[in-house]
Amino acid sequence: MSEVELTIDGRRVSGRSDQTILEAAKENGIRIPTLCHHPRLPITGACRVCVVEIEGAPRLEASCATPIRKGMIVRTDSERVRRARRMVVELLLTRHKIHCLTCESNGNCDLQDLAYEMEIDMDSLSFEIEEPDDPVDSSSPAIIRDPSKCILCGRCVAACQDERVEHILGFVERGSDVRVASGMSQPLFDTDCTYCGECLQVCPTGALIEKQSRFMGRWWELERVETTCPYCGVGCAVELYVKDGRIVKVRGAEGGVENMGSLCVKGRFGYDWVNSPDRLTTPLIKREGKFEPATWEEALDLVASKFQKLKKVYGSSALAGLASAKCTNEDNYVFQKFVRVCFGNNNVDHCARLCHAPTVAGLSKAFGSGAMTNSIRELLGADVIFVTGSNTTENHPVIAMYIKQAVAERGARLIVADPRKIDLVDYATVWLRQRGGTDVALLNGLMNVIIGEGMHDEEFIRSRCENFEEFRRTVERYTPDLVEEITGVPADKIREAAILFGGAEKASIVFSMGITQHITGTDNVLSTANLAMLTGNVGRESTGVNPLRGQNNVQGACDLGALPNVYSGYQPVDDEATRIKFEEAWGVPLSGEPGLTVVEMTNAAYNDDLKGLYVMGENPLMSDPDLNHVREALDKLEFLVVQDIFLSETAQMADVVLPAASFAEKDGTFTNTARRIQRVREAIEPIGESRPDWEIICGIAERMGYRMVYGSPGDVMEEIASLTPIYGGIHYNRLDGEGLQWPCPDRDHQGTKFLHEGRFARRRGRFHAVEYKPPAENPDEDYPLLLTTGRQLQHFHSGTMTRRSGVLDTLVPECLVEINPVDASRLRVQDGDRVRVVSRRGEIISNVKVTGRTPEGSVFIPFHFSEAAANVLTNAALDPLSKIPELKVCAVRLEKEC
Amino acid sequence: MREVSEVIIRSESDLDAVRAEVEAADSGYRYKLLVCLGAGCISSGSEAVRDALLEELGRRNLSEEIRVVGTGCIGCCGSGPVVLVQPDGVLYQGLKPEDAIDIIDGHILNGVFIERLLYKKPDDGDVVPLMKDIPFFKYQTKNLLRFCGQIDPTRIEEYIALDGYRALSKVLGSMTPEDVIEEIKSSKLRGRGGAGFPTGLKWSFTRTAKAEPKYVVANADEGDPGAFMDRCLLEGDPYSLIEGMAIAGYAIGAHKGYIYIRAEYPLAVNRLRQAIEQAKDWGLLGNDIMGSGFSFDIEMRMGAGAFVCGEETALLASIEGKRGVPRPRPPFPAEKGVWGKPTALNNVETLANVPMIIREGAEWFSGFGTGKSGGTKMYSLAGDVKNTGLIEVPIGTEMGRIIYNIGRGCREKKDFKAVQSGGPSGGCIPKEHLSVRVDYETLDELGAIMGSGGLVVMDEDTCMVDIARYFLEFCLSESCGKCTPCREGFLRMLEILERITTGEGKEGDIERLEELAHIIVDTALCGLGRTGPNPVLSTIRYFRDEYEAHIKYKKCPAGVCEALFDSPCQNACPAGLDTHGYVALISEGRFGEALSLIRERNPFPSVCGRICTHPCEFKCRRGETDDPVALRLLKRFVSEYVSAAPRSYQRSSNGVRVAVVGSGPSGLTAAYHLAMMGYETTVFEALPVAGGMMAVCIPDYRLPKDVLNAEIEAIHELGVEIKTNQRLGEDFTFDSLFGQGFKAVYLAVGAQRSRALGIQGEDLEGVYKGLRFLMDVNLGEKIELGEKVVVIGGGSTAIDSAKSAIRLGASEVTVYYRREREDMTATDEEITEAENEGVRFRFMVVPTKILGEGGKAAQMLCAQLRPGEFDSSGRRRPVPVEGQEFTVDIDSVIVAVGQTTDLSFFTNEGEVSTTKFGTIIVDEDTMETSKTGVFAGGDVIRGPATVVEAIADGIKAASAIDKFLGGSGKLVEVTRKKARIDEIPFDLEAEIVEQRRVEAPLLPPEERVLGFREVEQGYTLNDVIEEAKRCLHCDRKLME
Repeated sequence: MSEVELTIDGRRVSGRSDQTILEAAKENGIRIPTLCHHPRLPITGACRVCVVEIEGAPRLEASCATPIRKGMIVRTDSERVRRARRMVVELLLTRHKIHCLTCESNGNCDLQDLAYEMEIDMDSLSFEIEEPDDPVDSSSPAIIRDPSKCILCGRCVAACQDERVEHILGFVERGSDVRVASGMSQPLFDTDCTYCGECLQVCPTGALIEKQSRFMGRWWELERVETTCPYCGVGCAVELYVKDGRIVKVRGAEGGVENMGSLCVKGRFGYDWVNSPDRLTTPLIKREGKFEPATWEEALDLVASKFQKLKKVYGSSALAGLASAKCTNEDNYVFQKFVRVCFGNNNVDHCARLCHAPTVAGLSKAFGSGAMTNSIRELLGADVIFVTGSNTTENHPVIAMYIKQAVAERGARLIVADPRKIDLVDYATVWLRQRGGTDVALLNGLMNVIIGEGMHDEEFIRSRCENFEEFRRTVERYTPDLVEEITGVPADKIREAAILFGGAEKASIVFSMGITQHITGTDNVLSTANLAMLTGNVGRESTGVNPLRGQNNVQGACDLGALPNVYSGYQPVDDEATRIKFEEAWGVPLSGEPGLTVVEMTNAAYNDDLKGLYVMGENPLMSDPDLNHVREALDKLEFLVVQDIFLSETAQMADVVLPAASFAEKDGTFTNTARRIQRVREAIEPIGESRPDWEIICGIAERMGYRMVYGSPGDVMEEIASLTPIYGGIHYNRLDGEGLQWPCPDRDHQGTKFLHEGRFARRRGRFHAVEYKPPAENPDEDYPLLLTTGRQLQHFHSGTMTRRSGVLDTLVPECLVEINPVDASRLRVQDGDRVRVVSRRGEIISNVKVTGRTPEGSVFIPFHFSEAAANVLTNAALDPLSKIPELKVCAVRLEKEC
Repeated sequence: MREVSEVIIRSESDLDAVRAEVEAADSGYRYKLLVCLGAGCISSGSEAVRDALLEELGRRNLSEEIRVVGTGCIGCCGSGPVVLVQPDGVLYQGLKPEDAIDIIDGHILNGVFIERLLYKKPDDGDVVPLMKDIPFFKYQTKNLLRFCGQIDPTRIEEYIALDGYRALSKVLGSMTPEDVIEEIKSSKLRGRGGAGFPTGLKWSFTRTAKAEPKYVVANADEGDPGAFMDRCLLEGDPYSLIEGMAIAGYAIGAHKGYIYIRAEYPLAVNRLRQAIEQAKDWGLLGNDIMGSGFSFDIEMRMGAGAFVCGEETALLASIEGKRGVPRPRPPFPAEKGVWGKPTALNNVETLANVPMIIREGAEWFSGFGTGKSGGTKMYSLAGDVKNTGLIEVPIGTEMGRIIYNIGRGCREKKDFKAVQSGGPSGGCIPKEHLSVRVDYETLDELGAIMGSGGLVVMDEDTCMVDIARYFLEFCLSESCGKCTPCREGFLRMLEILERITTGEGKEGDIERLEELAHIIVDTALCGLGRTGPNPVLSTIRYFRDEYEAHIKYKKCPAGVCEALFDSPCQNACPAGLDTHGYVALISEGRFGEALSLIRERNPFPSVCGRICTHPCEFKCRRGETDDPVALRLLKRFVSEYVSAAPRSYQRSSNGVRVAVVGSGPSGLTAAYHLAMMGYETTVFEALPVAGGMMAVCIPDYRLPKDVLNAEIEAIHELGVEIKTNQRLGEDFTFDSLFGQGFKAVYLAVGAQRSRALGIQGEDLEGVYKGLRFLMDVNLGEKIELGEKVVVIGGGSTAIDSAKSAIRLGASEVTVYYRREREDMTATDEEITEAENEGVRFRFMVVPTKILGEGGKAAQMLCAQLRPGEFDSSGRRRPVPVEGQEFTVDIDSVIVAVGQTTDLSFFTNEGEVSTTKFGTIIVDEDTMETSKTGVFAGGDVIRGPATVVEAIADGIKAASAIDKFLGGSGKLVEVTRKKARIDEIPFDLEAEIVEQRRVEAPLLPPEERVLGFREVEQGYTLNDVIEEAKRCLHCDRKLME
């Protein structure tokens, strides 16, 4: 980009050769009004409000679309320009429903602002106002579309088509009949809209407004707080709009580094649970099987004394704690410290065990670090993206947006490996529909072809890796034909995908639970690492192995040591020097023995080895496999404390329930899937008497005789930085704006965009020879169907939040068992029929949805619904290394309910 | 028929071999019958004609000797189906299948041309057998269309035989891509899509753009209403485009081309598809073409009929499967085109020119056209022009030549008004610019564009406001609706135009339109928006008076905007007579009421019933079925039949005096209305008789004196005082009138000074001035004309002079006119009558000198003329043909070349403002002159015009004077208008059955010439009812 000198409004200014007049003017402090222009959307040049006069050009030109040239002489404010602009605005006003009085966008409307700025007197417009009265579409629970307020700027269409690659909104008709329509001119609710709400955010007028925030506050009454979304691991930057202690609106922060202003339906509309009447407002103590409100003093005293007593009676090992991937880094750090100090053991774990334990284990073995190697938006630069075991559009919608953009706008090729016909299949060049649990074979098959074709990166392997030969010998046996037999994927497809991947200059691998939730989870992860190393796709931009974290702070909870085997920053508890470091810092002796994992805790309780459990913000009674077993185990505990924002299924079994503040009510940080540490900020006062988690923990610790005093979460981060090398440079005053990606060892370090550049964290990347092993439980005569579980777009995890969101629960109010049409006809069930799903461990009743998404012989059940909890059915068989249960495969049968 | 064996073309010599084979096959045939299978001829049934020819040939066992070839468009789409007989070059037109027998048995077997199927000259009916002699073809230069209509567009070998694919072979064999681009640059080929961007330059931009792959795109999305050049070319010769694209691909470094073509062109699509397949089969498309290593392929994309997809960026979006919507440029397609890659996007016609340029050389090509723009251009000539169809002329050809030489002007003697160039977003070019040489720059200067080359001719019946509205409506409905100015601005403009055309126009609307249009032009995103206002701007520029007529006077001069009038005839009548009203009354036999309705406005029904030029009849819709209703004759009938003219209503005198100067139709009409309103009116007449020109210049055989006098008498009876022998400036002045208590003066002194020829000998004895001559005849002066009389001129005065001369006994009367017959201002009826009476005519001649013998005219020197350049009246200025002077013997000459006003009565110079033509300037609303209280009308403000226009001015003046004197300006109404029409029963649903008008009997010519008896005899009672019932009641909308 070279520097270009030009003259704007008589001023000599300079800009870059890739800038438009609008951008150069803006940078030089010259304002040009716009309507259709939006910095992150493609240039359309539709509204013509930003026209300027360019010397030598016969006509006015749109400054948003015209590149600057050397020596250009531009006038942005001549009489000719002003007359033209004014006419454009008047033309728009002439066919606009001018209902500013109660319009939701009053005070935040570009058209209104322009009319005012141009001093347009509504009583003397050039034309008679002809208010359109196109019907308002309020069919959807989320969005109200009022075409009569639409100025046809096209931002929403660009957002829907170009940004989100959704194609729900589009222009129809021509001339003055042109309008924006949804779907095939249907009501929005009848379309496939995912309600990402991107359209709503970019609309410059009141044509698209949020239904639930209507009449909840004028723009100028709202307080804006920038924070991080509490749902998945993408870590979208959000703006909460608050009025009178209530969140009334959420928008994506335009400056958000991961989301660039985008959000998904949950992030944008699923916020009303914060102010839900169901929120816990006081501590509860169970007396004679019934909860009674209690004071904090009472509750904390009881909890501390009870834990002390159990520790004294049964010994330290009878206590354990479950931290939370939904809580902040500071909460988790304080929690694990509490367990290690006050319980005196390492019995701390959290639900990362149920999702990405194999990722951490596998990638650590292969690369030396368990984290996502690259950054989210690097996906835009990849030539080939290989998505396996990730239903990205539903689980990480904003990441899916980049994948779709890469395909649709930048010509990237997509390979999808998934037994289900997930939405991304529509964008894929190749779709590999493997049988559930056969990933190792599939990946070995791909690598077999790549080596066979000589497409592997010999230089990379030789200079940066080890153990290639052993690996090669194993892979050699996985010929496409053999793999076809195991996986059911045609050998040709395997070859096609392998050649596509092997031929890419920059290939990214994206995976998630479909890879990890198996007894071979770690093997699966190792195989993805093998594939990346084999083709030299590690340590460079837009490449890498990219596990997508399911919850907002799984990464952080792991990073901060909410794991039984490591302190913060993956410093092993069984390493003496490390232990001594922490003992010195915390002033107490620590156990050098790794503690219990999640499922092991359940088993220990079941076996009466565990007596007291402290659960912070987790809901094992929904999220863990084989829930009947979990219930029995928890039942056996002598003392269960649950700290949460709602009375969850687990909390209902507790002896003491402690009300916690939600993400909107406290300060702290989350670390997203791409290792980015971002700020969480208090937007409203804690609801009722609820308190931030770290404060509650400190209260208990103090009562157990260990003083943990922090002035604020910032102080906690100071301590974290001092003890955690990868967080060494993290400090709150460095986190405004984009946050920082670890490793960030010191205050001067700018963070790390992608890992393993030049050298792996473990020096040389290690190939692992991995053999295919079948799942623990396969369908058989009694249980002929393979059950796979997962999430869906509108709900999250155990549903505590999303099922209390008006919009989300209206969109998807019930559990539906997805079944292939072939199986459905065999079982004589149709859409909406009630079925009983039975596994060796239990049964649930749910309605059926017949769909080709699910392969024949397989059923899919989302696990968000307590009334039909999928995990009643799942198998707790564990991956030996990472101890993850095999949530993705078990055997069930369906019985039609009459 | 033998098939040329399909071969793979690998070299130039393979092309030679194909040609040899085709020629050998063709030489076996005696005749080729080229049947036009263009879409136009197909729609008029040419396929049936072809089948009939094949069948008849088969029946006669001639199939081996005579070959029938289905070709693309031959061009004259208006006269299809056509068949060209080769090698004779004879063109048969308007064929039906049964004509096949005559063509074969007559022409083919016996060498006799079938006259009834040949082109006939409209003026003299002479047949023109050879295509090359037919004016439509004679004035064209068919370079691009040389194959179109000559080859079977489904046989690639015929194209090859005519040197097709030589250019590609030459390019691949001996030219570098840079050579090709250089050649195109020096050919001065410019984009035929309309913008005229130099093609070579575009190619070089695309070649140097840094991205791969590159593409060639042919724009065949021809969406202008009335444009069909691309369609005809593709239907008739799909190969030139394909070859041109391959050459373009080679030049810019592309291996793939797209043709974006309208799906509404199924025939073109099929022929193109077939041609592409053939080219692939023959190795002329695809991999390694002719062993050169160059590969090129073409794919077709169908457009769904969105006009805006002709815009290049919208077209690219559409090719990519997106909504066809333009995007801002830059980036230009040369940089970022289809799929974001460098793309040479050219119009079909542009690309089809390329092989010819390569084959014949840039120098040859640039030899056609102008210095800035080489080659020929195709146009589709459509609209109100005699010859419609596909034409090709060099760039820079005069617009008038296209319209008159090729198109032969407007139909039915209608006046040419304007030509819309460049499609709906082009501009209207009026007749004063017919001399313009059609190229990119000059059209732009005139506010029009070349566009894709549609030329829509519009005649006098076209309302320019309505046309602007129509084109704007088209542009709005075809706007993609993306940018605000185009979407909303066009809507508002259309709203204003709709308002104007429905009589709701407001003051300031023209200015509002202009401002809006200028801002839209200035700000719109793409070419559609930026040119869409052109029709409005250009019609305002050239026809502002029509806009004003709509807005100010709620009048549509062309009689198109229905909301502004009750019926077209009424609208056409300058005096605004309630024509349909009196016709309805006549049809019911209510003659008295009919006459009083007429007299409500016109005090001269008998006069007008005889000599009115009846503009009403020209607009009569009945004329579209058979003949116009004979409105003039109906009027004449009632004026005669109703024995005593019904007494007009007369208000009692209001005591206010008004003077009228001049007792012609205008003055007397004003006096009539003023008297009805109650004014004490006095008319001053310089001549000894009242009636002005009606009395002294219209011969008795057209208007008997007693008829006129009766109507003057009726005016007199109303109380109007008529003082003859009173000359302004001599016997009285304005001041003396005001001094006598007159409160207002209406000056209607006419234009009675004959123009002189300005040549030597005009003052000789025997040289008469037209008006003076007629006046002398009328006043019974003795005139000795002699035997040989020449009348100079082309108007009514000339015809009347000639007819009078015949009646006075001249044996040889000839009218000399400097233009063609169709240019004469006299009516067709007058000319025909004169011919019947023995008057001869000589056109395109002008006297240059009159030679005398003994002070008396004896000989006249004349020059033969030919049409020269188009002048500002839209007519060709006649210019002398060198060396074609001739001399004729004469006894007398009557010079009737027009009249001017005679303002010698003004004693004070500048007392009243006048124009340089000697007419008086009046305020067009109030008719008031620059002198307060003095009003003027009739010929003295217009120059010589018609009686009915003079009457119209009289009406207007009376109303204006009433207003001036404090009245309402309303004429006195005597009939119950509304009720009247409602009482007339007629069947709205009745089918219109052809029924010619009832002709009025004429005195036989041999009797006419014996004296000055009235020639036309008028209707009988039976005739009149029958004729009146022919009225279609266009005013029926009033009842609905």
